[in-house]
Amino acid sequence: MKTKIKEYRKKLKMTQEDLANKVEVTRQTINALEQGKYNPSLELAHKIKKALKLKSIEEVFIL
Amino acid sequence: MVTKNKVQIAWRYGFAIVLIITGLLTLSYNLKNEFLGFSSIGTWLIYVGFIMLAVITLQLISNKKRIVDERMQLIASKAGRITFLAIIIFSFVIMIIDGFKQITIPYSYFMSYFICGIIFIYIVSYRLLLKYS
Repeated sequence: MKTKIKEYRKKLKMTQEDLANKVEVTRQTINALEQGKYNPSLELAHKIKKALKLKSIEEVFIL
Repeated sequence: MVTKNKVQIAWRYGFAIVLIITGLLTLSYNLKNEFLGFSSIGTWLIYVGFIMLAVITLQLISNKKRIVDERMQLIASKAGRITFLAIIIFSFVIMIIDGFKQITIPYSYFMSYFICGIIFIYIVSYRLLLKYS
């Protein structure tokens, strides 16, 4: 799965650590998500969408 | 979440106290078989119980916030599967070795090596999966 987490994160001037703290995961998980090594659950995808101030999950996760 | 933690800590303390009481009872019944380098199984149980109490108390005092996310849980289950497979393979290997040359070490030593091996395999596989997957 392709993601645009890094792109939106940079727009908001957030570090991986900041985003990780907001969505209550480890920084390594955010890194794995950005590199497409891990597919998140629906709950985590929603949290990330909310933290990145987006309207839908499809904006950040591309199948 | 806090309640769950409290329950877990209570269980751990309970287990450590049970170990110490069992150790004291074993000592009072004068069961003095040498066990894992200790003079008796009772002293060993008391020693393990006190080590457990110390570890739990230190964990409580340090109060470090631990994050366990869904990826870590997935990796933990994968590491569990690898460990289970390793136990089966090693058991067969040990059976074959025992067929060639009988293993004559005491059962307590064998089991302690075996348990240490299981913990070692689990930790190594967990760390490797966490880093490379």
